[in-house]
Amino acid sequence: MIEVQGLTKYYADLRRGRFVALDGLSFYALPGQVYGLLGPNGAGKTTALRILSTVLRPSNGTARVNGYDVVLEPSQVRRQIGFMSANTGIYDRMTAWEMVEYFGRLHGLPPAELTQRMESLFEKFKMNDIRDVLGAKMSTGMRQKVSIARAIVHDPPVLIFDEATAGLDVLVARALLHRVAELRQNGKCIIFSTHIMREAEKLCDRLAIVHRGKILAEGTLEELRQEHGENDLEEIFFQLISRYEQAGTPAAEHDLV
Amino acid sequence: MNKRARQPPSTTWFDRATMNFTNVRLILAREVRDQMRDRRTLFMIFVLPILLYPLLGTAYFQMVQFQTQNSMTVLVVGGGQLASTSTPLIEDSAFSPQLFFDGPRGTELLKLEMAPEGPPSGSDTASDWTAEANRLVQSKKFDAALVFPPDFANRLEAYRKAIHVAANRLPSPPAPLPKGEGSIVEIPRPKIIYTTANERSLMACNRLTAVLDRWTEDVGKTNLVAGGMPAQAVRPFEIDRSNLAGESASKSANIWSRMLPVMLLLWAMTGAFYPAVDLCAGEKERGTLETLLSSPAERSEIVLGKLLTIMAFSMVTSALNLVSVGLTGCLIFRQMQDFGGPPAWAVLWLSLALVPVSALFSALCLALASFARSTKEGQYYLMPLLMLSLPMAVLPMSPGVELNLGNSLIPISGLVLLLKTLLEGSYVQALQFLPVVLAVTMVACWLAIRWAVEQFNKESVIFRESERFAVGLWMRHLMRDRDPTPSAAEGLFCGIMILVLSFVFRSSVAPPAGFDGFARVTLVLQLAVILTPALIMAVILTSSPRQTLLLRLPRWKMIPAAAVLALAMHPFIIALNSLVMYLYPIAPEMKRLVDDLQTKFASADLGLLILCVAAVPAVCEELAFRGFILSGCRNLGNNWRAIIVSAILFGVAHGFLQQSINACVLGIVLGYLAVRSGSLLPGVVFHFLHNAMTVLIAKITPELMDRFPVLGFLVQPSGEGPVYQWPVYLFGGVTSLALLGWFTWFPAARSPEDVLQKVFEQSTEDSG
Repeated sequence: MIEVQGLTKYYADLRRGRFVALDGLSFYALPGQVYGLLGPNGAGKTTALRILSTVLRPSNGTARVNGYDVVLEPSQVRRQIGFMSANTGIYDRMTAWEMVEYFGRLHGLPPAELTQRMESLFEKFKMNDIRDVLGAKMSTGMRQKVSIARAIVHDPPVLIFDEATAGLDVLVARALLHRVAELRQNGKCIIFSTHIMREAEKLCDRLAIVHRGKILAEGTLEELRQEHGENDLEEIFFQLISRYEQAGTPAAEHDLV
Repeated sequence: MNKRARQPPSTTWFDRATMNFTNVRLILAREVRDQMRDRRTLFMIFVLPILLYPLLGTAYFQMVQFQTQNSMTVLVVGGGQLASTSTPLIEDSAFSPQLFFDGPRGTELLKLEMAPEGPPSGSDTASDWTAEANRLVQSKKFDAALVFPPDFANRLEAYRKAIHVAANRLPSPPAPLPKGEGSIVEIPRPKIIYTTANERSLMACNRLTAVLDRWTEDVGKTNLVAGGMPAQAVRPFEIDRSNLAGESASKSANIWSRMLPVMLLLWAMTGAFYPAVDLCAGEKERGTLETLLSSPAERSEIVLGKLLTIMAFSMVTSALNLVSVGLTGCLIFRQMQDFGGPPAWAVLWLSLALVPVSALFSALCLALASFARSTKEGQYYLMPLLMLSLPMAVLPMSPGVELNLGNSLIPISGLVLLLKTLLEGSYVQALQFLPVVLAVTMVACWLAIRWAVEQFNKESVIFRESERFAVGLWMRHLMRDRDPTPSAAEGLFCGIMILVLSFVFRSSVAPPAGFDGFARVTLVLQLAVILTPALIMAVILTSSPRQTLLLRLPRWKMIPAAAVLALAMHPFIIALNSLVMYLYPIAPEMKRLVDDLQTKFASADLGLLILCVAAVPAVCEELAFRGFILSGCRNLGNNWRAIIVSAILFGVAHGFLQQSINACVLGIVLGYLAVRSGSLLPGVVFHFLHNAMTVLIAKITPELMDRFPVLGFLVQPSGEGPVYQWPVYLFGGVTSLALLGWFTWFPAARSPEDVLQKVFEQSTEDSG
């Protein structure tokens, strides 16, 4: 599971002081759940997920992934997670098989077990025909498949999807959401960031609406609907953001601390 | 939150205990495979060296053949009269083959065409032939022209006969001496007309000169024989030369020992650079770095894997280039006279040197490439790296530069010189400096690798995002969004501008004759070149010139402290100067200039001298270097970095290397005083007193010491002027350390940059 408490991240800008990207983010996500981070571009979703995957360090607050602290035990945290970013992170000059194998070996899987697992993954994702295709020659759909296979080859308990459906056509996006739902059924704890409301509505068990580094609302879809007296998630989202902006938190005041 | 307890595990340095070498091996194998699948890398590393040198060698060989086989034509004016001379220059309408070192072949390569007798067409007088020959050479109809004056042959013959008569004491025959310039010794000179604007013309001139020199020698011999003297009187004996290394081997070793080390370095750098850019900036650009960073591989493992990959490619590129150039040398240049392939033992020395050289450049390239946002940006860093490394590799190859202690302390140059010395076979000399060169290279490698690791650990570097740049927006930003102090870029720009302006100023002003001239030049340099740009930039680019130039009073104790520090440190600065002069002896021309300056100082009025040498520089240089430039550099985010960068600029602004090293050390002390006191004043006092002491100590003469014996406790006379007594060093050392410590301890006022820096340190600690 994932527990985030008061997570803050500010970037040092020598000319202008501190730019606050995350401002006291707190939430938790349980195994067998998809936790959605919903927010406009620049809300701080990617920063939060980069901290969870230990790529960035938080300025303040704590985050624990499957019981391991992201600051104190980053190596253990990285063994617990599978990370998939918006741009898929596919190497141009590696074949699908080599790529998945590389990450499997970095995760320390024994060769025999790795081969067995890769065979089953390639079979399941119908990737056997692209086994020897180089990353540069892959279509977007193929890249997504390889990217997921790479993220789950070591069977991690926690999966982090950062805007994984960005730029995908409907068919590929649908297939990806289907796979995420399957992973949830397998008991994985999944964090899924997106700015597409329909995806969040369909997939997420719990949601946090993030704006300017803060959580404006958090809960199950049903809880959010009841709280705001509105059925449409997009409408709830819009209301929250407008209310926040009208409450007089001008950008300059917020950004510069 | 307990900050100490939340320190993250160290990721700043290679930790053997925690490092997983399986991951390093995996990353290395992946990166090597990745690069081997890149056609551009393969071309640069494998194909280019294999093809380049044989192709270049063949082309050069062809060119040489072409040049030597190409014949040139010379117009000979007035050559007809030479038929009557006893020593032939021209035979059968060609230069005599005996006059060429390569005989008849020379005649073929230097053809001649005789100008017709009489005036040229369209002219009335024969003397117009010179003008006509000029025109013909200019218009490239002929490569050169040889013009004999009208009565040249007659006078030459008359001269020979006169010698004959004098030698045989014959009754003087009524010799038909030519009229004109009186003495028979005055033989009018033939003239070669050529133009250096045309390469062929220059070559024709050189060949023609050689032919005429031999002919003149022959004429001289004939005259001697006519006078009854032996022809050998001109050249009574020949000199034999004996080269123990063999003529050909020595020449080859000399050339290869200059060429191979430079090639090794250049290709080690090029071989490291392209993979480094692809491995770091390319990975950032393709978005794969984030995925790799979220894998179990630690950053130190990633850096080491990448570093080893880059090193491997650097070594292979360099080795292949050397092998290719060596083979080309053996196969192609061997056909040339006196030139063979590189000596066999060179392979051993070059292979040994390849490891540290590749490690150094790989780490440098890795750090630079990890800083770049994209491969395109990465490519832009090649040229500055090349421009910085090239002089360090090529300058030691200048004639007369030998491996010594001073040179071995310079990172790349020392290694190049060591290699050169080894290739020349001077093993004793090489062994003597080997430890120094190795130590310096290892320290440089270590620093470069540390820098690379540091770059990789910085979030701001790893996730630098592209910025849009537009001149208009930038200018508006400069004028509108002014901060109290300049940005780091503005500070550096000011420093570089002062360097360029002083260089232009120094080069365009003639060395002043007397002290008055020196005073004028110094004042203009200080006020116009150093002070004015800093002041203008402070007013235009910052919202608080006062804060930028540190124009505020420090705590009063700091002023006497700075004054005492200047006096206490002076002996050490003088000693450092002597050490620098010993390690890097000053060039004779520069020494003359310095001595000349000392002579001017000796005759100058002391008040004016102190004004020019101490007071004005203390104010102008402090305002520029510790005012604007240091304030800007403090935005680099670290006080010591700011102090060192401003001190380097301060050092370079001084005329020559030996002075620069000294000034750089002084700059560090001055920068430290400015940062600790938050004011310019202690620095000005220190600078003034230091310069004034240098002037005053030179004024202490033995006569003065006789008059004031107390001076003997401070200084003693020496060949190079007065030097301090050892108790002064002891007392000065203790006092300097105490005062520098006191400045550290003193609660100095914080500048906004310091406050901001504390915030960042806090944020880093928080994050830990």
